[in-house]
Amino acid sequence: MVVTSDLRTGSVFKSGNDALFVQRILGQKTGRSGMVTRFRVRNIVTGQTSDIALDAGEKFEEVDLDIHQMKLSFVDGDTFVFMDQTSYEQYELTRDDLGDNTGYMSPDDDFELEITFYDGKPVGVTLPILVERTITYCEPGVKGDTSGKTFKPATLDTGIEVNVPLFCEIGTKIKLDTRDGTFAERVK
Amino acid sequence: MDIDILCKVVDNFGDIGVVYRLARCLAEREDPPRLRLVVDNLAAFAAMDGAVDPAAAVQDVHGWELFSWAAGDTRGEAGEAVRSAFRARRPRLVLECFACGRPDWLEDILFGPEAEPSLIVDVEHLTAEPYAADLHRMPSLTRSSLARKALFLPGFSPGTGGLLMDRAFAAALERAREEDGRRALRRRLLGLLGSAGTGPGAAEEGFWVCVFSYERDYSRIVADLEAFGGDRPILALVAAGKSQACFRRAWEARGSPFPASFLPFLPQEDWDAALAASDFSIVRGEDSWSRAALAGRPFLWQAYPQEGAHQLIKVEAFLALLKPFFGAEDFAPLAAAYRAFNERGKDSPDERGLESIGPILASRGSLEGGFRDFSRSLSAPGDLAANLMTFLREML
Repeated sequence: MVVTSDLRTGSVFKSGNDALFVQRILGQKTGRSGMVTRFRVRNIVTGQTSDIALDAGEKFEEVDLDIHQMKLSFVDGDTFVFMDQTSYEQYELTRDDLGDNTGYMSPDDDFELEITFYDGKPVGVTLPILVERTITYCEPGVKGDTSGKTFKPATLDTGIEVNVPLFCEIGTKIKLDTRDGTFAERVK
Repeated sequence: MDIDILCKVVDNFGDIGVVYRLARCLAEREDPPRLRLVVDNLAAFAAMDGAVDPAAAVQDVHGWELFSWAAGDTRGEAGEAVRSAFRARRPRLVLECFACGRPDWLEDILFGPEAEPSLIVDVEHLTAEPYAADLHRMPSLTRSSLARKALFLPGFSPGTGGLLMDRAFAAALERAREEDGRRALRRRLLGLLGSAGTGPGAAEEGFWVCVFSYERDYSRIVADLEAFGGDRPILALVAAGKSQACFRRAWEARGSPFPASFLPFLPQEDWDAALAASDFSIVRGEDSWSRAALAGRPFLWQAYPQEGAHQLIKVEAFLALLKPFFGAEDFAPLAAAYRAFNERGKDSPDERGLESIGPILASRGSLEGGFRDFSRSLSAPGDLAANLMTFLREML
């Protein structure tokens, strides 16, 4: 069994006969009774997407999945092509398949990813919790503000926009938390 | 319609208080559903309603079937009685209050090999945050396609599930609006309290203050009330619970400067009447917060202290809802008092309380209009019980 708090972008879980792939975490709210998380999920079989809200304690069946270590080889439009580092076979996933994870990876990355297979087909990817990305655009850095508590928008080398502390500049390498897309730390 | 309500008491009486009121509101409807309640802390329930036997695994209370959460997981007669009741009449509509989860024996019935279609609705905590409207009526999931699930969010604004309004509280508010009715309400309360510590000078007239918060230092608030009471009689009704000893300590340290009644634990309807009859309230949590808001009189709310001072987000959200109902001059001291009252990292009698309610008391005349208008706005989302019944019918 997996509980809601185990789920992240790229997770696959079962509700009834449906295998559901977590495309995006839309938001979380905390209260006395714990967290409620909103997810965008895709039914792996039908392809249908829907938005749902799960409270922290709900349990789900795990899905029988195969995991293969791969690297992102190249991106062709909305298609992301991954290569198995052992067999050198290539597998394709679409931007829809990958959800928010498209913003956290690039063919230039050294790290390997876990590609999830269901019924022999690739259905999603699991990234390391922290990935390194480079800021390609942001407003100039504010010297002296090292608190990391005030943020500004920044565009990353993958094209997505995230909030980073004021001291960051164009070219700064940062670590990004792939669970929720938040800034984790500056790479030293 | 048959509805099963699940309640787990996390601490104090807030959870069971809301669930009890929810059950009463559902039972008061013209076409009332048949109710079964499963509660993990019957002693807490019994404190609120004397008809509840804290030792009984299965009992009938006001026509509702009441079951002990834990008894169902035990071997022996009591456990079998609980399980067989739910096997004989399988749950179709389950209200899982505050995401409290489900007892193992009920999981077996809902998800086991003999499971039948059911709908589980997570009735969440009250919040003023905008996400209440986003999450309200949102679909959720369980591990089985037979057990559908959805969320239901109470709230102050249109697009949410609204607030509970039971007949007894509505009647108390109605009485409190007229001078004679208010005096009669106060007379009844004073008679009910008897010798519950009411000091000399307590009367039907005068300025009544209800006090019910988490543990805190009350020195400043007692001093403010003392100063305010210089030219008018004051009576503080201090609820049983965490804040009573804190208030008493500060009150005694200042030489018991005004009459105060240190209340025993009151049944829900009597506590509601005390809130309705008061001129100013200090409330906490959820149920008393919503009652104070509906009462339409000035009040200060202490949110449940959370890690990382997350309660401040909830307080700011509530202040954002209040703001349009007040002029800038009145709102500034009100907001300052709310923030100061909630800026604390823990729930402890040693947490210094520097918040002043003096400015609020001084401008209570103009604040009353704002709180009254705010309470009227709360009818916009509609009554929670009615909204919930509509939602359940739609989902079926």
